[in-house]
Amino acid sequence: MKRFSKMIAWMAFPLLAFIVAAPGASAQTTVAISEDNIDIRINYNGSTVNVSGNTENDVDLVIRIDSEYIDEKMMVKDKVGGLLWMNSGKVEFQNVPNLYYLKSSAEVTKILDPGEQKEYGIGYEALAANAVIEPPVEPGKAKTLFADFIRYKEQGKLYSQTVGGVEMEADGNGQSYRAAFEWPYQAPPDDYVITVYAVRDGRVIDSAETGLVVKEVGVEKALTELAQEKGGLYGIAAIIVALAAGLGVGVIFKTGGGAH
Amino acid sequence: MLHIYLPVAHSSINILLPIGLGLLVGMMSGLFGVGGGFLMTPLLMMVGIPPTVAAATDSNQIVGASSSGSYAHWRLGNIDFRMGLYLLCGSFVGGLLGVQLIKFLREMGNADFVIKVTYILMLGIVGTYMFIESLMALRKGNKEEEKQEEPQGDSRMAKIVQSLPLQTRFEKSGVTQSAIVPIILGAFIGVLAAVMGVGGGFLMVPVMVYLLKMPMRVVVGTSLFLILFTCIEVTFLQAYTNHTVDFMLAVLLLAGSTIGAQTGTLLGKRLKGDQLKILLAIIVLIVTVKIVLDLTMTPDILLTTAGGE
Repeated sequence: MKRFSKMIAWMAFPLLAFIVAAPGASAQTTVAISEDNIDIRINYNGSTVNVSGNTENDVDLVIRIDSEYIDEKMMVKDKVGGLLWMNSGKVEFQNVPNLYYLKSSAEVTKILDPGEQKEYGIGYEALAANAVIEPPVEPGKAKTLFADFIRYKEQGKLYSQTVGGVEMEADGNGQSYRAAFEWPYQAPPDDYVITVYAVRDGRVIDSAETGLVVKEVGVEKALTELAQEKGGLYGIAAIIVALAAGLGVGVIFKTGGGAH
Repeated sequence: MLHIYLPVAHSSINILLPIGLGLLVGMMSGLFGVGGGFLMTPLLMMVGIPPTVAAATDSNQIVGASSSGSYAHWRLGNIDFRMGLYLLCGSFVGGLLGVQLIKFLREMGNADFVIKVTYILMLGIVGTYMFIESLMALRKGNKEEEKQEEPQGDSRMAKIVQSLPLQTRFEKSGVTQSAIVPIILGAFIGVLAAVMGVGGGFLMVPVMVYLLKMPMRVVVGTSLFLILFTCIEVTFLQAYTNHTVDFMLAVLLLAGSTIGAQTGTLLGKRLKGDQLKILLAIIVLIVTVKIVLDLTMTPDILLTTAGGE
């Protein structure tokens, strides 16, 4: 990313000259979201993230939302004794995000060269190329494992890659765009990054990024902290509440004439 | 808005769903004296709760359902505290042994396969036996209703059991047994429960009915009372070491299950012991078939979270 911005800086002068020479041909890509925060309150049931901004004319756009790239441990099922499907071993997918949403104005593989996809981490194929599977497996097996990983994530609504849904219209000397991302409740509290890439002739020519913070507030925050930091106390409280509820309902049923 | 966000499960749920699930499973617990984890945990996973959170929160919920049910059964005079205490002591020791045994088995490799197969066989045999036995008893009709089969002394085993020291009269159950018998049986259940990772209600109920010769009503009450203690321990350990108890979800489940346990107990009062047994046998057999299908059908995705059990 740094290398890219440096490159942009180097290109700035001739580009500026070009803009002056051909008015209306270019505009810097920008990105903004409707709200920088999503607060998880007690009645939270997901949200929508509206992404908008400006970009140049004659470009395709790729909008990506992702979280930090981490290592995810998973269990692999296998047929044991030729009979039963059981967890047979661990596998670690290294350098993958917990969440990855991608929308593009056209199919990623058609608008971007493979090298560019990999360099910017755009699309499932780039994710697969940048990920490391530990312990190592043969390429064919790695491919099916990663395909399974993506399906697993998609079922959990943590990954999606769609074409379309990016509205673009002429605006001044460039164009404005907007896209709405369904934000499901399954996306956990985290710091997310939203990146917009302007693409032309198979290459990324400009980009912009912004952050999205999803966090728990109020009761939700208090409970999570208690569960994580004071597990013993939390456990005892949970037991007392359950006992009180059980015995309380028992007494109510007795006096309420439920039993004779 | 009927949705509520569950902070530990990181999931949003319609509140009617856990309350309804709680009612259903709580009713089963009051009726049969089982915790219902075999039903609750997979149902919670189906609505998107992570497996570890589902199991831990369920044990928290069972504390409420079983205390509600125990209270109701206690008022009906259905709990044999002395028998319960001996079984509890046994299963506590058995649990400790079981945890060591499973470590040993895992080191031998392929232990999970052996455990799963044993579990299936056991559930299948217990379910079938209970089904046939209670069906025959029901056919015989009502004339011998609730007749207690005292140890008949016709087998060598019964003679040995009768000659054991510490013969104790268990008033509520109406049996005289050596105190050693429930302690050893409790230990056996404790080992199995630890090795198979199940609460043990399914094993405890048949053991009390067929090996300790206790009447079904007292079995249900006493089993619930035992489950209460086991689940208090499990809830604490899960909250303390794994941080997987979702309090919000537990409260919603409790709202249903504490009431369900009461209605289950009331319903149980109207049913005969053999009717209860045959219903439980049918449920055990359905669960067995479900486990067999789960294990033999090719899964859609070959990956699962490495949350660990």
